Amino acid sequence: MQGVEQMQYVQFGVGEESYGIRIAEVHEIIRMQEITEIPNCQFYVKGVINLRGKIIPVISLRALFSLDEDVYSKATRIVVVHHQEESIGIIVDRVHKVTTFHDIQPPPERVGGINGAYFTGIGLTESELVGILKIDEVLLRD
Amino acid sequence: MFDNSEFRQVFLEELEEQIMTMEEEILSLEKQGSHSEGIQRLFRAAHTIKGSSAAMGYMELKQLTHEWEHLLDMLRNEELAMSRELTNLFFQCLDFIKDLQNSIIHEELLPDPSAVIKELERFSKANTESVAAAKEAAGDALPEEAEQVLREFIHNGQTVYRVTVKLTEDCMMKLARISIIDISLRAFGEVLWNEPNMKLVQDDQDIHAVRWLIATQEVEPLVLEQAVAGLMDVHSVRVEAMQPSQPEAETAAALEQEQDNADMLPGFAGGAAEEAADKPQQSKASMKQQTIRVNVERLENVLDLLGELVIDQTRLKQAIQTLHQAHGYSETMDDLGEISDHLSRLIGSLQENVLKVRMLPIEQLFSRFPRMVRDLAQTLNKNVDLQMVGGDTELDRTLIEEVGDPMIHLIRNAVDHGIEMPEERQKSGKPEQGIVRISAAHEDNQVVVVVEDDGGGIDTNKLRKSAVAKGVITAEEAALLDEHKALRLIFHPGFSTASQLSDVSGRGVGMDIVRTDIERLGGIIDIDTTVGVGTKFTIRLPLTLAITTGLLVKASDQTFILPMSAVVEIIRVDTSTLKMIKGSPVIKIRNQIVPFVWLHEMFGYSRTEGGSEKIPVVMIGRAEQRLAIAVDQLLGNQEVVIKTLGSYVGKVDGISGATILGNGRIALILEIGGLMKKASGIS
Repeated sequence: MQGVEQMQYVQFGVGEESYGIRIAEVHEIIRMQEITEIPNCQFYVKGVINLRGKIIPVISLRALFSLDEDVYSKATRIVVVHHQEESIGIIVDRVHKVTTFHDIQPPPERVGGINGAYFTGIGLTESELVGILKIDEVLLRD
Repeated sequence: MFDNSEFRQVFLEELEEQIMTMEEEILSLEKQGSHSEGIQRLFRAAHTIKGSSAAMGYMELKQLTHEWEHLLDMLRNEELAMSRELTNLFFQCLDFIKDLQNSIIHEELLPDPSAVIKELERFSKANTESVAAAKEAAGDALPEEAEQVLREFIHNGQTVYRVTVKLTEDCMMKLARISIIDISLRAFGEVLWNEPNMKLVQDDQDIHAVRWLIATQEVEPLVLEQAVAGLMDVHSVRVEAMQPSQPEAETAAALEQEQDNADMLPGFAGGAAEEAADKPQQSKASMKQQTIRVNVERLENVLDLLGELVIDQTRLKQAIQTLHQAHGYSETMDDLGEISDHLSRLIGSLQENVLKVRMLPIEQLFSRFPRMVRDLAQTLNKNVDLQMVGGDTELDRTLIEEVGDPMIHLIRNAVDHGIEMPEERQKSGKPEQGIVRISAAHEDNQVVVVVEDDGGGIDTNKLRKSAVAKGVITAEEAALLDEHKALRLIFHPGFSTASQLSDVSGRGVGMDIVRTDIERLGGIIDIDTTVGVGTKFTIRLPLTLAITTGLLVKASDQTFILPMSAVVEIIRVDTSTLKMIKGSPVIKIRNQIVPFVWLHEMFGYSRTEGGSEKIPVVMIGRAEQRLAIAVDQLLGNQEVVIKTLGSYVGKVDGISGATILGNGRIALILEIGGLMKKASGIS
């Protein structure tokens, strides 16, 4: 697995936790937008936004991870990823930086109360642990 | 392997086209019997695929089409005859090609075609032998020219004999021998026709049997036979009195076709000649219209951009209005207004034209049905004639895609439940062959698609009973339903009229799904039936799904759009006039009781009470149903570009899509069927 460590990740925070997404999977990062709610939808789908004339859904990682309700601030961002030929926005509390990990550990069964299946691994930096999201699993619709 | 992704798309497009041609041709071969034009087209399609798949490196596909081509070649050289078994094998081949196509699309490992290839090989071997043997044994049918002469003479009351002579193996000078036989035969009557024609034969090596047609008077067949049998080198003689083999009218048509085929024959020779055969078709096509192929995605992008342009235009208009209010009249202001007006006209016609580009003939969809009906009829042992009219009717390509499933369901139903078994049809005095008829046509601003059959029809009394038994309605309600409403019971969820669920059309979905699908497209489905005569489903669809006129309303600070086509009227209602029936509010409008709901509550939003007593209410309608929806504010109507919420969000009850408004905000477009359902539990 040479080179895995050199892969770049977008590291962001939700609540107290740090997460990462492989940079290749991130389409863009935008500021918080006005969200149009969609009634009768999955609980984690917050609604849709107008991304330059395209309507894309945004989901709440907080809702998905059963954390407290979203509170939007100036730091709130939407990470737009590609999933099965669609763009989907993921609301995060803040985006830290683009980073690499010197080591990636396989995910445990549960990561702080969150299903381990959501992660491809746990990335280690000098100071913290970052859960690397398995986008397809996170966005999987049942 | 070299990177062929660029060619892959072109290859796949071509493959798709050839597959469609093949399916069409096999079906027509099955229906009309063997005709060399069809076989030739099939051959050409197989040949094309063989060439391109070889170039692309799809060896499995190449091998299969190669072997098929070989068999087709035998067919067109009449070394082999079409049969039902062969038709089925052809379909099997085609299905395998489709499998291969699928694997290529999904970039999977290609399945191994050797089983089908073996089957093709088996056929070509077994049948060459048997056809040759059959030819030998039967003495063979006469070619058309002979038949025609024969018919003429018999028509004039003459007796015609066929004399078949086999020469011995060691006959040295066959042609000379045949001439002697010919001369002796001419002593008995007039030789109408003979084969082989001695004037045309150069090399006599291959001649074993010779045939004559002789018109005679008062000669016994035995006399003829003895006269010939006595000659040298004659192995055997057979003399038969002849009758024409086909009724006259039919053969005349066959003759015409034969002639056409004869014209086609040079095309068989090879590459260059094949192209020559292609030519007349091509020139016909280019005369009709010139077209180019466009990637769908590009077209969608253009439409998206146009959608943004429409939105910006609306914003511009609003901005001008605001400016106007703030700064009053000025010449520049006037200019700006004019430019804006012009822009909106331009955008309007641009939009219209782009939408036209998206229109496709419904033929594309129709072409899927013949095969389906054929297979289904065969499985069910039914005899069904599928008739299709109006394939050139154009509608939006997304609509064509979407309306496919419900139509397939209706057609399956027609074959499975509609058309009776042949014996049953015979008993009721109908022709054994049932008819399923599909038609499409434009009517005003709609497309009307009809699926009808001449089957047994639907008994509304049975429907009533069944609906009561299933608890869909009560017995009292059932008794009150008029014929049409009773018939519409078929569209209720969980309702199926088939006394036994067959595995073919069961598929776990009922007519309610069909209705929901159609209504999701902004369409209406209706049914008409007569017991013993048949059933007719009529589907009305909008021309396009991309754009619609909507009524903008506000509820709980969100803007929603109601499709104008469903809005029956707009009224103001004093909330104090609301009545309650079974705990649900209703309003009475012109003696009609209409269920009443607040849009907010439907979607679980809170409603700010108070304010004015009179609230705006939008009455929506679908078929005979009405629903009064209370909102906070009416914002007027406008054209909206419909966008889907995407497959990630999926289907949401009561919402069909969204649009981007002039201010850049998103408004959800409401779906009438879903609202009705939400309002009443079951509609």
